[in-house]
Amino acid sequence: MRRDFLKCCSLTGLGLAIPRQSVVAWAPPKKDSPYPGPYYVVFNASGGWDTTFLMDPKGVNGINRLYKEGDILTRGAHMYAPIRKHAQGGMPNEDFFAEFSDGLLTFNGLDYSVNNHSPGARYMATGKLDSLAYPTFAALVAACHGATCPLSFLTFGNYSATGNLVAMSRVPYVQSLQKIALSDMVEGNPKAPYHDAFALDRIEQALRGGNEARAAVPRLPRAERGENMLYAAQTNSKALQRASQYIPSTIPRERLSQQAEIALASFKAGVCVSANLDIGQFDSHANNDTDQMKLIPEFLAGIAYLIRRAGELKIREQLVIVIQSEMGRTPNYNPGNGKDHWSIGSVMFFGKGIRGNRVIGATDEKQFALPVDPQTLKLDKAKGIRVRPEHIHESLRELAGIADHPLSKKFPLGLTDKEKLQKFWG
Amino acid sequence: MAPLFRWFLIARIVAFVFPMAVHGQEISSRPAARCASVVDNQFADEVWARVGVQKCLTCHRQGGEATKSRFVLVDPRKVDGAARDQAMRSNLAAFTRMAGVKEKDKSRMLLKVVGELDHGGADVLKSGSAGYQVLADFVRRVNSPSAAPATAARPDQKAPPFFQGVAMLDDRRLLRRVTLSLAGRLPTEAELAMVIRDGQKAMPAILNAVMREEAFYERLREGFNDIFLTLGIDGNADQTVLSYEHFEKTRHWYQKHDLSHIKDKDERQRAEWKIADQYRLAILGESMRLIEHIVRHDMPFTGIVTADYMMVTPFSARGYGIYDEVKGKFKNPEDPFEYIPVKLKALVGRSKTENQESATGFYPHAGLLGTFQYLTRYPTTETNRNRLRARMYYQHFLGVDVLELAARVSDAAAVTAKFKVPTMQAAECVVCHKTLDPVAGMFQDYWRFADQGVYGKRKDGWFNDMFVAGFEGEDLPASERWRSLQWLGERTAKDPRFAVAMTEHAYTILTGRKVLLPPGDAEDPLYPAKFRAYAEQHHLTREIAARFAATGFKLKTVFKDWVMSDFYRADGLITVVSEPCRKAELDDVGLVRMLSPEQLERKIRAVFGEKWGKLTDQLAILYGGIDSKEVTDRATDPSGAMGAIQRTLSNDLACRHVANDFAHPAARRKLFPGIESGVLPGASVSGDQNIRKAIVHLHERILGSYETADSVAVERTFRLFADIVKDASAQKGLDKRENYFCRPKNQEGKESGSDDPHYTLRAWRGVVTYLLRQPEFLYE
Repeated sequence: MRRDFLKCCSLTGLGLAIPRQSVVAWAPPKKDSPYPGPYYVVFNASGGWDTTFLMDPKGVNGINRLYKEGDILTRGAHMYAPIRKHAQGGMPNEDFFAEFSDGLLTFNGLDYSVNNHSPGARYMATGKLDSLAYPTFAALVAACHGATCPLSFLTFGNYSATGNLVAMSRVPYVQSLQKIALSDMVEGNPKAPYHDAFALDRIEQALRGGNEARAAVPRLPRAERGENMLYAAQTNSKALQRASQYIPSTIPRERLSQQAEIALASFKAGVCVSANLDIGQFDSHANNDTDQMKLIPEFLAGIAYLIRRAGELKIREQLVIVIQSEMGRTPNYNPGNGKDHWSIGSVMFFGKGIRGNRVIGATDEKQFALPVDPQTLKLDKAKGIRVRPEHIHESLRELAGIADHPLSKKFPLGLTDKEKLQKFWG
Repeated sequence: MAPLFRWFLIARIVAFVFPMAVHGQEISSRPAARCASVVDNQFADEVWARVGVQKCLTCHRQGGEATKSRFVLVDPRKVDGAARDQAMRSNLAAFTRMAGVKEKDKSRMLLKVVGELDHGGADVLKSGSAGYQVLADFVRRVNSPSAAPATAARPDQKAPPFFQGVAMLDDRRLLRRVTLSLAGRLPTEAELAMVIRDGQKAMPAILNAVMREEAFYERLREGFNDIFLTLGIDGNADQTVLSYEHFEKTRHWYQKHDLSHIKDKDERQRAEWKIADQYRLAILGESMRLIEHIVRHDMPFTGIVTADYMMVTPFSARGYGIYDEVKGKFKNPEDPFEYIPVKLKALVGRSKTENQESATGFYPHAGLLGTFQYLTRYPTTETNRNRLRARMYYQHFLGVDVLELAARVSDAAAVTAKFKVPTMQAAECVVCHKTLDPVAGMFQDYWRFADQGVYGKRKDGWFNDMFVAGFEGEDLPASERWRSLQWLGERTAKDPRFAVAMTEHAYTILTGRKVLLPPGDAEDPLYPAKFRAYAEQHHLTREIAARFAATGFKLKTVFKDWVMSDFYRADGLITVVSEPCRKAELDDVGLVRMLSPEQLERKIRAVFGEKWGKLTDQLAILYGGIDSKEVTDRATDPSGAMGAIQRTLSNDLACRHVANDFAHPAARRKLFPGIESGVLPGASVSGDQNIRKAIVHLHERILGSYETADSVAVERTFRLFADIVKDASAQKGLDKRENYFCRPKNQEGKESGSDDPHYTLRAWRGVVTYLLRQPEFLYE
């Protein structure tokens, strides 16, 4: 893993805190350059969203009670459900698609393959259904592009396994970021250092010497990993002070917006590569329409907030956004006016390297997935394939330029070249 | 040795192989050549582990989808001792029998696994895959016993013992690890003398004493809450745990509690709030106190599923309306957190329909299983139908993650649409639901949703479109329904998986991570090495579990066994290991646990005499802690944010304690008992010796390392101290006193002992900061 880190960081040109050989300790970064992007954000609608109230509208066969097929709206290539009348707060589809459809890529008819939250969340996050060891895409891309960033992989929920590639950071509140930004100062006061600069330099020098000495003796693999990660975490944490200037004085009330502010301050400071943003309660087994009409607009408003704020911070062009959930909802209502788990759904993408105003894949009038020809990306009932999370993840790895990265190779997705989606990003 | 007997022996090691899941296995680099297997283990390690348990057993077992086929296997995990050996013999026989059956010159078994010949499970293996090759080898061996296996998984009879070349902790450091881990304190002089005198032989007696300390029970509750998460109940516990229906008149007792002796209105209000807070905490704590009660009194740990009582405090007893009945049993009825065991009477509802049936007149307690807290933490919904509870039951008490049992469904949506009741009709769904749903049915009378409590029957009776209530093929008799969870608990306690699961929980508490799962990627060239790592650990787990069961399920024996094991004591390597297969074998060996916020605070208290006090709430979450609700997994690797906290912590603790320690008389000092702050490095030989002795003491106290005055580590620390003093002498305008924020205060709150004319006080602070940032302090 140590060598993988080295390769990874040499690819990115970032400063390293990584040993070159087993007897060499992790060195501090040679240069303290901020990570410049792209910044990867995975928005997760935890619990299972109703895609027919968003980007895959139906209005037939009793699938939706709030609108009919003829009410379905379009914006460019996108079709979406009309929800303005029913939305409770947040941002309705109408406004979301009006503002973002040009940059939005939708895939409909994704086969989640399972009907349970836990494996579904794992599968959507990693592209691998039957392993607990695989990293999420967000963790993988963080490890490949910026393992030395102090908050390389931020998570606010959802399945967040790292595959032991990179440390996961939880920053529950914006204020938490402020607390840790100036760790060598008393109470974070920049005018009140604990140690004089020359003394702190000597401490760092001694720690470096100790780290090198540790590396010179045989260590168990686990000890080697732990000691290296600890040294890197402390050394690289100094970069967090860059984040303090981007922490907003006014903190938004909405939960996704709060998460977005933490992620954006970290992106802007160049201390973060990827973030999982998450809100829950989509599991609408009872009163589906009421729940989804509250949550979908809230979810979309959070996405819009992130994109707009990224624009204000002048990093919008560096964003890569994945918008997903771990499952869909059944095409019928249960006796409690709810909808149960459905293994077919959708995923949306927005941002750098993604040609928008496109929809790939589809479901039929009963909300079953239609096969897609991976070469042409057109529907093909005869020769198409069922597109599953591993197909999406293979494409995401390609988009991020890490498909052939040694760390990605450790976690193969098992697709043949013929199965890979060609020109998925346009 | 006959192949059958040899396989049988190996089968004893791997009989508990668990299917599907992989845990931390894929990260090692893959060598060009496959690692060699350790012994001739084709059936147990190869056929059974890679194919049988993962691909066949799910359906080809009694009660499984293929129970009527000619190929029925026995799950060795569900039996123990000789029965388990018999199960593996039976499985070997079944495989051997099936391997001999041909279909037009081709092996019927090999055709079936790739989905031909109308295999109900379709293609469970791809032709050419490693699993297929393993099976093909086996078939070939059966049909031509003299043939050697074609794959590279050849026996390596010369493989060294698993822990060969691994250095173990010395006795003193093991003692420190144990006292810090289990009791949150440093070893006493008497304990150190014992281990110096008697070596490891002293450990059992020391462990017995440590596990009688109050701090151990605090650690025990914390560790088991990490697993059961019963502290993570939403809302106010007096409303979410105690239902309006059954505790309407008592659950808000604190609102009517007589506080008239407090004259000031605001003060009275604050007192009521405090009582309410303590009351809610007391309710939340009941489940973990049950565990504590069982362990404290050396009762069989099966009590966590069979105990016919619950724990209450004077405060929570009032909530249940039983305070007057039990108040005489409390030592201090005013103590909100004194827990005692009691039996609750059967619940009486506001309406008669909500009265609880009970043949004894008592609530059918069943250890944790029946506690209101456990049932509230894992609630049911109309559509979930207690399946979450069933899933958590399997995970918590039998160590089985049911959701890992089922593989991908070819088209889950089509299956859902095709069958009227897919969970009972579709093979893909039945695989799990035949196991899960009967246990879900055991909770059928706990059918109340959020904020409505937990007990209550479903108005229309239990669901007909679910497999009937029961456990592992045994239906719940109607006469036992009123005590269904007791019935389940009794069977759980007898299930061999229970002892293993509890042994695994103890390992998790001690190490902060789960036991290894068998590697799932049969194509991985490192598979044999990873499997060996798993098998070695699993073999020991089973040994400890067997002792646990044989000695009356005394949980402390499990902790003792783990502590004395090579897995707990492994500390380093004698020589560098660069060979990929051996590295893969050792990948998870060694404790190397980053301390949790709670553990770190306890260690700080042990070293400095008081906690830092800041690793709570938000900062604890930021430092990888959990809230038992939404954040339920502790971070195991330090992020940059955590690195920043470590910097702050080391700066702040050194600031708080160094000058303050020097301000005390030498005999009362924890950090600097043998030196005064003004001793300058390089001024005299004796002065330098004194400084080095002080450094040796700091290394021992803070890092737990026993250095000599001339060791490399002490020399590095000495140089740090000397260099800071030297650099300071070259600075102009430095304050002659310690940093304002780090100056000690006397009892009157006035500064005292902050003079630092030669910067030595601040240099010592630098030394302590340096030591606190090291892995030896921050890791276990």
